[in-house]
Amino acid sequence: MKLLRRLAKPGFVAGFSIVLFWVLCAVLGPFLEPQSPYADDLMNALAPPSAAHWFGTDQIGRDIFSRIIAGARPILTVAPAATLLATFCGTAFGLITGYAGGWLDALLSRLIEVILALPLIVVALLVLVALGPSSLNVTVVIALVFTPIIARTVRAATITECKLDYVPAAQLRDEGPLHIMFVEILPNILPPILVEVTVRLGYAIFTVASLSFLGFGIQPPSPDWGLTIAENYGLIVGGYGWTVGFAALATASLVIGVNLVAEGIQEALQ
Amino acid sequence: MIGSRTLHAVARRGALSALTLGLLSIVVFAGGQLLPGDVARSILGPLADARAVAALNHQLGTDAPPLKMYLHWVGHLLQGDMGMSYAYRSPVAPFILHALEKSLLLAAVTSVIVIPLSIGAGIVAAMNRGKWQDRLITLGGLSLTVVPEFVSGILLILVFGVWLRWLPISANTRPGTGLPEQLRHLILPALPLVLILFGYIARIARAGMVEALEADYTRTATLKGLRRSKVIFRHVLRNALLPTITVIAAQTSYLLGGLVVVETLFRYQGIGSLILTAARGKDYPMMEAGILCVGAAYILSAILADMLIALLDPRSQAAHR
Amino acid sequence: MTPLDHHVAEEFRAGRISRRMFLHHAARIGLLAAAPARAATLGRPGATIRVASQVPAGAIEPLTVSEIGGLVMLCQTAEFLIMDGPDLILRPCLALSWQPNADCSVWTFTLRPGVKFHDGKLFGAADVVATMDRLCDPKQGSNALSVMRGVLSPGGAKRIDDLTVRFDLDAPNGNFPFYVSSDNYNAVILPAGYDGDFEKTFIGTGPFKIEKYTPKVGASFVRNPGYWGRLALPERTEFSFYNDQQPQILALEDDQVDMIVQMSVQGAQGLLRDPDVQIIDFPAATHRQLHLRCDDGPMADKRVRQAIALTLNRPGMVHGLFQGRARLGNDSPFAPIYPSTDTTVPQRAKNIAQARALMQAAGKADGFETNLTTERIQEIPDLAVLVQNACAEIGIKINLRIEDGATYYGDAQFGRSDWLDSPMGITDYGHRGVPNVTLAAPYLSNGAWNAAHFRNSEYDRLMAGYIAAVDLTTQRDLAGKIERLLLDETPVIIPYFYDYIAATGPTVKGAMFSAMSQVFLQDASLG
Repeated sequence: MKLLRRLAKPGFVAGFSIVLFWVLCAVLGPFLEPQSPYADDLMNALAPPSAAHWFGTDQIGRDIFSRIIAGARPILTVAPAATLLATFCGTAFGLITGYAGGWLDALLSRLIEVILALPLIVVALLVLVALGPSSLNVTVVIALVFTPIIARTVRAATITECKLDYVPAAQLRDEGPLHIMFVEILPNILPPILVEVTVRLGYAIFTVASLSFLGFGIQPPSPDWGLTIAENYGLIVGGYGWTVGFAALATASLVIGVNLVAEGIQEALQ
Repeated sequence: MIGSRTLHAVARRGALSALTLGLLSIVVFAGGQLLPGDVARSILGPLADARAVAALNHQLGTDAPPLKMYLHWVGHLLQGDMGMSYAYRSPVAPFILHALEKSLLLAAVTSVIVIPLSIGAGIVAAMNRGKWQDRLITLGGLSLTVVPEFVSGILLILVFGVWLRWLPISANTRPGTGLPEQLRHLILPALPLVLILFGYIARIARAGMVEALEADYTRTATLKGLRRSKVIFRHVLRNALLPTITVIAAQTSYLLGGLVVVETLFRYQGIGSLILTAARGKDYPMMEAGILCVGAAYILSAILADMLIALLDPRSQAAHR
Repeated sequence: MTPLDHHVAEEFRAGRISRRMFLHHAARIGLLAAAPARAATLGRPGATIRVASQVPAGAIEPLTVSEIGGLVMLCQTAEFLIMDGPDLILRPCLALSWQPNADCSVWTFTLRPGVKFHDGKLFGAADVVATMDRLCDPKQGSNALSVMRGVLSPGGAKRIDDLTVRFDLDAPNGNFPFYVSSDNYNAVILPAGYDGDFEKTFIGTGPFKIEKYTPKVGASFVRNPGYWGRLALPERTEFSFYNDQQPQILALEDDQVDMIVQMSVQGAQGLLRDPDVQIIDFPAATHRQLHLRCDDGPMADKRVRQAIALTLNRPGMVHGLFQGRARLGNDSPFAPIYPSTDTTVPQRAKNIAQARALMQAAGKADGFETNLTTERIQEIPDLAVLVQNACAEIGIKINLRIEDGATYYGDAQFGRSDWLDSPMGITDYGHRGVPNVTLAAPYLSNGAWNAAHFRNSEYDRLMAGYIAAVDLTTQRDLAGKIERLLLDETPVIIPYFYDYIAATGPTVKGAMFSAMSQVFLQDASLG
């Protein structure tokens, strides 16, 4: 309860509402969309916002309002999946390297530095050009690059924990290393992991959207917002700004919402 | 004065960085080899004759064993030869250098806008701490840092380029255009990058300012009769500059990735869009050289930041007097 | 006059072919010795024409250029034997006249005298022979092989004397002059001693010489004072390269360039409405081929293929995707612009009831699921979505896989290419002055581009007949048979042929474009 009270600040509440709204769109999409996001209407292509189409239509006449609602689902599937995957792997790596130390730690640290020397987008590009762009591959790539970042945090927390009494005590009791790591240490480092996860989720959404924009993320004919912008930003010059403007606003609101939630959790746990 | 201990640290850093760079080159090269598709095929086009493709592949040496190709590549790299572009059949280096120039120009415009703007905002936030100005700058700034560059870019284009018509939409100008006009065309592309950094720098500047305002030397100086603003100016600015460098160094990787997105959105031929085009066209030498440059830029900026901090940090100076 | 010439004249007199078709046909077989007069009113000389063009994807090497950016560069300083214009009527350039023998297996070309290359050397038959040998030699790996294979082989071009070249073809071909015209954009005539340094010298016989070429940035050309014809009107031309259409449009609107060489309607909708801009729009044979696998799977039954073809709203596509700047396609490569096209063949239209009936007859009333693989170019992803939606109306569930071009084409070999191995795919086909190439590789039983795996011996026979046909009536007759066969079998759906579009500023005059996206600026002026 004390936690909830600490969370209930305006920033967190605003962020949470936004995220909740988009999650509802993702889950209840088909019930909320006034028209099909996929049905084309060639005679009505590129129509500006009107009573019939609140956000206008795109190049083949699809209703943009419906596509915005439908577009919440792809991004809210891929990004959380990638983050969760990265969390599992990163936590495992972080615990192992923090506990074991030695050459394994040194090697992994160097490898992490190498991966982090390159911008995430560039690494993702390299891998996705090799594997071919698809939602699954994007999930894997992002998980791949986030794992070392999460591992770094978990490692630091593990090292700190290892200095405390209960760890040597457990070792004296002849507990196996796996037991010590996952049963003794892990529950005590959950708060920093939780903070890290919520922050990473924001970055995951950011990266998935950017990759979709570059053409290496979620693929057509998905109504994904990043993809919509990629397909239509050439139309801005012609005065068809509505084809991208709403998708941009939707993306911005989602990432800001997630970030506000992350900040709120961070503040509350400190 | 840079003490010998600092020099040692920098040297050690340099050696480690070289190792990192070496590992990076292997990763990049290996990544290039994993890319599917046929080099000659992508040059000659999909409808070219199969025999022609085989002939060109042999000519370009793309059918040699990977280790041999890697050593060949590294050897030339160390001599300053970045190899020949598969697509353009001409040296890669001029393309990379030209693209780096353009990206550096964009980075410069970004820095010139973001540093005064965010430090100023940080100071305003600190002077009004707790009030609405503070909350707006802090929360607003941090919110903006997570907005993808292409999203803020699109919204900025729609507002300032299309609706208000204050700024040109195109980042490019005809060759021979004067520098002021070129810079004017880079404002809109720089803004998304500015927004990525603004929140962090403003927060740090604010923290440094708050610390300075409450610090002993401020009170002492004010009691001595010095005007508050002068005290702030002399002490705080130096206090704010250090963390700013740290923040920018920490965000460099993020920024370099942002370059790819911004340069694509504004069709600006910098290093980011060069890498993207090379990757799409399977022009391995160009792509590998580009990515290495980006990695090297990040490593270099980290070293540079360390040195600058060592130079400017009054504490390290005091230790060596 | 040969019996053939008499035949053509007779056809014209009897009213069986129009004047334009007469000119086309007469030009094809070399009856027109002199070029029809060029634009009578020329503008002011001495301008600098600034052009926005696509960035060449690779080195500017006449043998290997295969995309718009590169081919635009080739035709600035180098020339062809014959010029093909938007009206598909051939005009002499470096060749003054050409004559076939009785069965069109041997063509004799008379060359223009007094022509010099930019380095001062005299142009002659040896240069033509060397160029042609290079173009059709498999070892040289030219992009033109896809056109020349089966038509001309190394050694087939023979120098008779300094101004006469004889082409001994691999097989009779009634449209051969198109193969050595500007249609075949790699076929610029280079000196016999050419050794692969075109990007440095831009050597040619054309009205412009190279001033400077900077890869990825641009090129500039100056008037050639030693040109064999009327000297170029502009003093200089400057080309700027762009990766994308949008910056080109912005540049034209900002008056940074005078013209855009080639545009797609998608993305240019704003410019097309701009009253200050001149839009050049002429019908072309550029199209998309939606292939349906005939040898295996649910579409092996032709009734299913016909059903799919009947779900498409073609006029809607022309309106929505191209703002009307396209012509209806009738599932054969015979575009409306070709004189040999038989236009009495009924145009296929959307008919869901009939489609359902056909699916029922084929035992597929419950529909099926399949994959459509294609490339991310221009409006193709949108077309794929439209096909997906249309097929859903008759119970066919299509999964889309949209890849980048290189992945889609793969190695362009059966078994190693998504394009050639997919059950359904959409491929882009550029404009050609005659349908010969498009009739061959995608449809012949052993065709290298036969993504539909279509094997029909009747088609092979008819097509061979068309290629060899000498006179227009026979061509049209065979075309009609081919069109009806393809409409019945429907291995490939061709929903539209879209126009070639370019744009210039309001004062630009005299620029000539071709549907291949070439631009010829020797008569261009700014007012």
